[in-house]
Amino acid sequence: MFQGIALNSEHYMSLLSARQKLVASNIANADTPGYHTQDINFRAEFESALAGETSTEPTVMEPEGLVAKPDGNNVNIDREARLLAENSMRFSIASNFARAELNSVKTAIQESK
Amino acid sequence: MSLHISGISPLSQIQTDVAAPTTGDGGTSFKDVLNSAIGEVENSRSSASKSVEKFLSGDGEDLHSTILATQRAELEFQMFVQVRNKVVSAYQEIMKMPM
Amino acid sequence: MSLLSALSISASGMSAQRQRTELLVENLANSDTTRTPEGGPYRRKDAVFVSDPSAAQFSSLFESEMNSGSGVRVSEVITDKRDPEKRYLPGHPDADKDGYVAYPRMNPAEDMVDLLGASRGYQANVSAVSAVKDMIQKSLDLFK
Repeated sequence: MFQGIALNSEHYMSLLSARQKLVASNIANADTPGYHTQDINFRAEFESALAGETSTEPTVMEPEGLVAKPDGNNVNIDREARLLAENSMRFSIASNFARAELNSVKTAIQESK
Repeated sequence: MSLHISGISPLSQIQTDVAAPTTGDGGTSFKDVLNSAIGEVENSRSSASKSVEKFLSGDGEDLHSTILATQRAELEFQMFVQVRNKVVSAYQEIMKMPM
Repeated sequence: MSLLSALSISASGMSAQRQRTELLVENLANSDTTRTPEGGPYRRKDAVFVSDPSAAQFSSLFESEMNSGSGVRVSEVITDKRDPEKRYLPGHPDADKDGYVAYPRMNPAEDMVDLLGASRGYQANVSAVSAVKDMIQKSLDLFK
């Protein structure tokens, strides 16, 4: 029953929460020597979800272009803070899309006499 | 004075200029009304769905255009529901009429 | 460029101004440092800003998003290569054989003004983030 907007939004939100978990662990490990920033290739994962490939977990990779400090840690706290804010913003946008779609279905159910 | 009375001429056939209405033709049926409304609702729903997909994929779709497209589709759907209700109750009214 | 990438562009501006502030603060604190681990007096540091489109992208690998706008990042920190200032202080522990001590060649007034500029720049970016976030929230209000 849930296809189109609600399904796409659901995939989007799953990927966002997976990414947010990695951001949280990056922030927690901002001072850990030797720790490398973890991320997912968001766009590629979302496109494969749209194409219907039901893979269970998104692949964790390391983003490019990060500078490593002398102790081997390459967490850029500005990048993580920005992702924290942007992930949650995008999540609320997607959940609003899903909610509007589900309200449509509710209207259809309630109106049928 | 003498009246000249002539016979009453028969009434001439009343010419009807108005052609007898052919059944159903030129008017819209209940089915047509509902079908065209459904078509519009489908169009706005599918364009809203495409807009959302484009936005989520990061393909340069504006946030406000996407939101307005979904809201437009929602309103058209609700309008359609009301139209359907009215059409159905009109139909039921007519069916109740004694023939 | 979408509203959301505007958010991350401002975030990159904040980050760049913050790094610039760190360097300026370091300069001010070390304006009289005659001895450093590298030898010689402290040398003034400056940040070089460069425009960077990757700050606007949401996916960490390259996206083919058209006109994604460009954020900013600090490309390098340059150290002052000029000769240090020499002052005549014969009793100083770091004095050389002629009694001259090498002091950092720096104008603290300049750095303080730069610090004000960096602070204003940071505030401007914070205002931009607030404004954009507000616009996004208002757009979400359309759903109600």
